[in-house]
Amino acid sequence: MSDASAGDAARGSVVTGIWRRVSGASRFVLHDPALAAATVLLGLLVLCAIIGPLVWRQDPLGIDVGGALQPPSTAHPMGTDGNGRDLFARFNEGARISLAVGAAVVLSGVLVGGLIGLAAGVLHRMVDSFLMRVLDAILAFPPLILAMAVTVGFGVGLRSAALGTMLTTVPYYARLLRSDVMRIRVLPHVESAVALGASPKRIVLRHILPHAAPTMLIQSAAVFGYSILTLAALGFVGLGAQIPTPEWGAMITDGLQYSLTGQWWIAVFPGLGVLFAVVAANILADRARDILDPRGELSRV
Amino acid sequence: MLRLIAGRLAGALFSIFGASIVSFAVLRIAPGDPTRLFLGDFASEEALTQLRQDLGLGDPIYVQYVDYMRDFLRGDWGFAYSVGQPVTTQLESRLPATIELGLYAFIFAFVGALVLALLATYRHRPLVDGSVRAVSFFGLGTPPFWFSFIAQIVFFERLSVLPGPDGRLSLATVPPPTLTHLYTVDALLAGQLGTFADAVSHLFLPAVTLGLAPLAFLVRLLRANLLEVSREPFIVVARSKGLGRWTAFSRHALPNAFLPTLTAGGLLLGQLLAGSVLVEKVFNWPGVGALVTDGILRQDFAVVQAFILLSAFVYVLVNLVVDMLYGVIDPRVRVRRNLT
Repeated sequence: MSDASAGDAARGSVVTGIWRRVSGASRFVLHDPALAAATVLLGLLVLCAIIGPLVWRQDPLGIDVGGALQPPSTAHPMGTDGNGRDLFARFNEGARISLAVGAAVVLSGVLVGGLIGLAAGVLHRMVDSFLMRVLDAILAFPPLILAMAVTVGFGVGLRSAALGTMLTTVPYYARLLRSDVMRIRVLPHVESAVALGASPKRIVLRHILPHAAPTMLIQSAAVFGYSILTLAALGFVGLGAQIPTPEWGAMITDGLQYSLTGQWWIAVFPGLGVLFAVVAANILADRARDILDPRGELSRV
Repeated sequence: MLRLIAGRLAGALFSIFGASIVSFAVLRIAPGDPTRLFLGDFASEEALTQLRQDLGLGDPIYVQYVDYMRDFLRGDWGFAYSVGQPVTTQLESRLPATIELGLYAFIFAFVGALVLALLATYRHRPLVDGSVRAVSFFGLGTPPFWFSFIAQIVFFERLSVLPGPDGRLSLATVPPPTLTHLYTVDALLAGQLGTFADAVSHLFLPAVTLGLAPLAFLVRLLRANLLEVSREPFIVVARSKGLGRWTAFSRHALPNAFLPTLTAGGLLLGQLLAGSVLVEKVFNWPGVGALVTDGILRQDFAVVQAFILLSAFVYVLVNLVVDMLYGVIDPRVRVRRNLT
């Protein structure tokens, strides 16, 4: 196979090259049922989030009292809630919120945590121990409790919930990158770059950070799942997105009051959304770890 | 060893100090006027000013911090206006319920994880191992509050084999005489088997729901450790000198695989604390978690504040104890720490 792809590259056929990549990747994915399921699930959720509102043109906020509490049917694939809102439209909107906010949490977490970790790993030891003590204070809280505290402090809402969740991920990113940087900065190729007179900026950007990228990537996949779960939990206790925003956690809270009267569909579907998103993210993180991190199963946070 | 303990103690104190600052800052930046929340919308301006003075809200911020921490350490954790009682009174009456629930959730998680991890690694059976891994993935990904909803629909609403969300005991059941505040233990001590059965049936679903995430987490950890340990030379030696698979596993592999799970003690406690906030409300469990959920909804942040700071205290303490235990049990840790 490597011969064939080398030949393609020589012929310069970009299309076949891309095709080989895709088919190679899909063969790799299909070989592993769990990975295949995770990819399909995440792909479906992304489809719901992006194309859902275009195809299923019902208003996720449109109230129709006459059509309240209808079970799933062809007109309403996931039924309607107590105000007659179409739950499939709300599910799609919820997917958009969860995936987008989850991605935002991951990006900002990588950025803030990465900068702190890099500073701690590269700068003076005083800076390092100061930053580590600050992180220790943050780590003194159980994660969800800290997220709750921050959300209470900055005012209830989706934005502060995202901020709170992000803050709980920062210490993990920072510690991970710090220990990685400390491991990499004494490797021979870094020392030779120093000896050659490379600027500190070049050393960090070209010689240290690229080597730390795989671990940060694995961590990010896990954090993505974690942040979707945490956002739903905050939404559930009433600290996240507020009524009538169709956030999955808030939708589950809304459905709970019908648990004893038989309208199961209101809470079941958003919960499945959270479950699938988190499981898929965790499986992807696990497989990425198997491939990128040769140190094995015990090196996870 | 002494230096290790002193170092860990200093670190823990610093963590608690930092945590207290974080939670104090959170209270200060929280929007809204606490006096308005105390006295309601129809309070006069004079009354508000008076209360503001009494609470010391006009003082400089560091004075407020010192006052607040002094009160906290003295056991004055504020007034929960939503229930009209001091926070401490509320916590005291609700803590046993949370402890009992957490205890059974932990037992479920621990025993379940042990069984599943052993199943997955005892003999190499890919199907069993795959199923165990699937359970752990789903356990970690399931929102506990959603799982409790499903469990109630299935076991109460449809099958009616377990009681619905009516707290720790059925309405008709009289609580057992108080000794330990744990209904199951008290009922057994008093010999009231009916009350015991009622308490257990009420505990079952909440405990399983709360224990699900810790179970999944422990399974992953134990399974990975068991796999790692079972490849070690001393297991090969144990097997080749004629020990049965079970003896080799139970006597040699398990104790070694347990050590790393001890470090997860703090994380498990964090999961249980956070889980109680998410699960109790759904089952109408009269514990601390439900108090916090109500406090959030009614903006009674004195309750939330006390819970947050208390969690941080307990969390740091447990992590400290785990760290020290680790040093005591595993001599390698002691030596490595002393070298650095």
